[in-house]
Amino acid sequence: MTMEQGNPALIVDGLTTSIRVDGHWYETVRDISFSVGPKETLALVGESGCGKSLTALSIMDLLPPKVARITRGRIVVDGVDMTAADLATRQAMRGDRIGMIFQDPMTSLNPVLPIGFQIGESLIQHRGLSRKAARAQALRLLDLVRVPAAAERLDAYPHQFSGGMRQRVMIALALACEPRVLIADEPTTALDVTIQAQVLALLADLQEREGLAVLLITHNLGVVASVADRVMVMYGGDVVESGPVGAFFDIPSHPYSVALLAAMPRIEGGGDLQPIPGQVPSLPEMPTGCRFQARCPLRMPRCAELPPFTPVGGNPAHLVRCWARSEA
Amino acid sequence: MNDIPLLDVRDLRKFYTTRRGWPVPKTVQVRALDGVSFSVGRGEALGIVGESGCGKSTVARAALRLMPADGGSVMFDGIDVLGAGKAELRRLRRRMQIVFQDPASALDSRQRIGDALGEPLRVHGLAHGAAVRPMVERLLDEVGLPKSAADRYPHEFSGGQRQRIGIARALALGPDLIFADEPVSALDVSVQAQILKLLQSLRAAHNLAFVFISHDLGVVRYFCQRLVVMYLGRVVESGPVPQIFETPLHPYTRLLKESSPEPDPARTMVMGFQDGEPPSPVNPPTGCHFHPRCKLADARCRQEAPLLREVAPGREVACHMVG
Repeated sequence: MTMEQGNPALIVDGLTTSIRVDGHWYETVRDISFSVGPKETLALVGESGCGKSLTALSIMDLLPPKVARITRGRIVVDGVDMTAADLATRQAMRGDRIGMIFQDPMTSLNPVLPIGFQIGESLIQHRGLSRKAARAQALRLLDLVRVPAAAERLDAYPHQFSGGMRQRVMIALALACEPRVLIADEPTTALDVTIQAQVLALLADLQEREGLAVLLITHNLGVVASVADRVMVMYGGDVVESGPVGAFFDIPSHPYSVALLAAMPRIEGGGDLQPIPGQVPSLPEMPTGCRFQARCPLRMPRCAELPPFTPVGGNPAHLVRCWARSEA
Repeated sequence: MNDIPLLDVRDLRKFYTTRRGWPVPKTVQVRALDGVSFSVGRGEALGIVGESGCGKSTVARAALRLMPADGGSVMFDGIDVLGAGKAELRRLRRRMQIVFQDPASALDSRQRIGDALGEPLRVHGLAHGAAVRPMVERLLDEVGLPKSAADRYPHEFSGGQRQRIGIARALALGPDLIFADEPVSALDVSVQAQILKLLQSLRAAHNLAFVFISHDLGVVRYFCQRLVVMYLGRVVESGPVPQIFETPLHPYTRLLKESSPEPDPARTMVMGFQDGEPPSPVNPPTGCHFHPRCKLADARCRQEAPLLREVAPGREVACHMVG
């Protein structure tokens, strides 16, 4: 619940990732910097195409070759500079020091292998455990993520689990080697709300016990308010606002953050919905400067230049990137 | 609400059979709808909420006769939908339409939008030849798309625009009632708000009634006047939206509300890991379907399924422990 504690487990510095469309390279993640400390949850929020998943894939070194590449910046995981490391080092880090869970467990789990084997596999690979030891450890992990009757389900196949249970299995898989960093890309988006609450509670509990640094990627500001310590809002590949969750929801400052909150229907009712006019520009049509300018009610000529980050209300932890806000 | 409802669904039942098990498969019956009743007034938006597998989409399909029902009755404006003959069913379909979650799969990828919207007009004899195009353009205008959209193909549109096309097609025949099955679930928040506003203005302009199926309580709160909460093929609670949201009566409705995240750190969701999984509809629990996850459950709940009964004017709940 605090700022970074101790050494950050994950540091991203000036990350720029480009993707190739019709022979042209476009910067779809631009100059992103952040760090996440142990026991801390940083939420990366934005709508489809804002670059939040691409950021995760860049960190995991899972970018599809030839069509996507990191063009600038540094990624440091647990003290190791991933961007400078060779392939063997990166492979050793991935799944060991840094784990990832995805929205749809079915695309990550192998449908024809029992889950006990799949969880144990990374322990055999990274830790050199015997099959027997890996199986015993897989059982402990299933217990850890609270899969009921874990011993009986070690030999079950992914299709024999419900959606919520599959997500737990994937969490067990990601945590097998006790990573320092967990990247969770829309981990509960496909789940029903009551199951979402269970999985998020489980993640929070494991994070506390294992001292994990969590990078949570989500489009749901409700989830952010419930579980994150800090939040970064992305639009069109840029971070437009970042800060502690309390400060952000108290004074949402970027016009896009404000618009996003005003477009959300509330369970508490009251208030009309304010849709954001227009849509995200396509990559070739991205304007120079602030990428939100075409949809922004506060647009001014200066928006053709990219604004710097400025503190909100004198709070150096809460930063916004908007000319209209920085002059106030 | 005292006059005759536009749509009256009574005791609707739908069973599926599946073959499960290995090496010797057994035929198992799944009670997707186990006696569902509700009604919708003219111009009213009724929400149906519940988790995946609770039967909420099956309600729309069975009531529209997109699939046969296995019992119960569906009356639309005094006409028996389940017993209607071919000609009558065709007349009914002009008045009851559906909007799906994924408009991409509901549109023919090789058919121009103008043809997709003109087809129902021609089939139902509302327009022919040169008269079709102006009607199509008016429909496009009504859902906020340019006239030129008629000459383009579905893949040229974004998700939000495709949903507008899906809505235009549902509007083409001038219906009185639209079933909307998770119409905004696949959309980003900013686009979702655009579509919700559009549906709201269409409802007001045409006095349209909606059966709005959703898993998102915030969306239902914004759009609907009354609400039906389903759990595993049964209605567990129904009533006016403001009352249900302020004082949910059924323990499941309460769990749904507590679990729904709100963008406000002062109102974080209740997160517990011991609430249990929703049971499989193939093998539902005895008695009240919710009892294995319910903190209030006692012996009676395990044996006897509670009936839906009125506990306050307009408010019904199926729970032994309430009222």
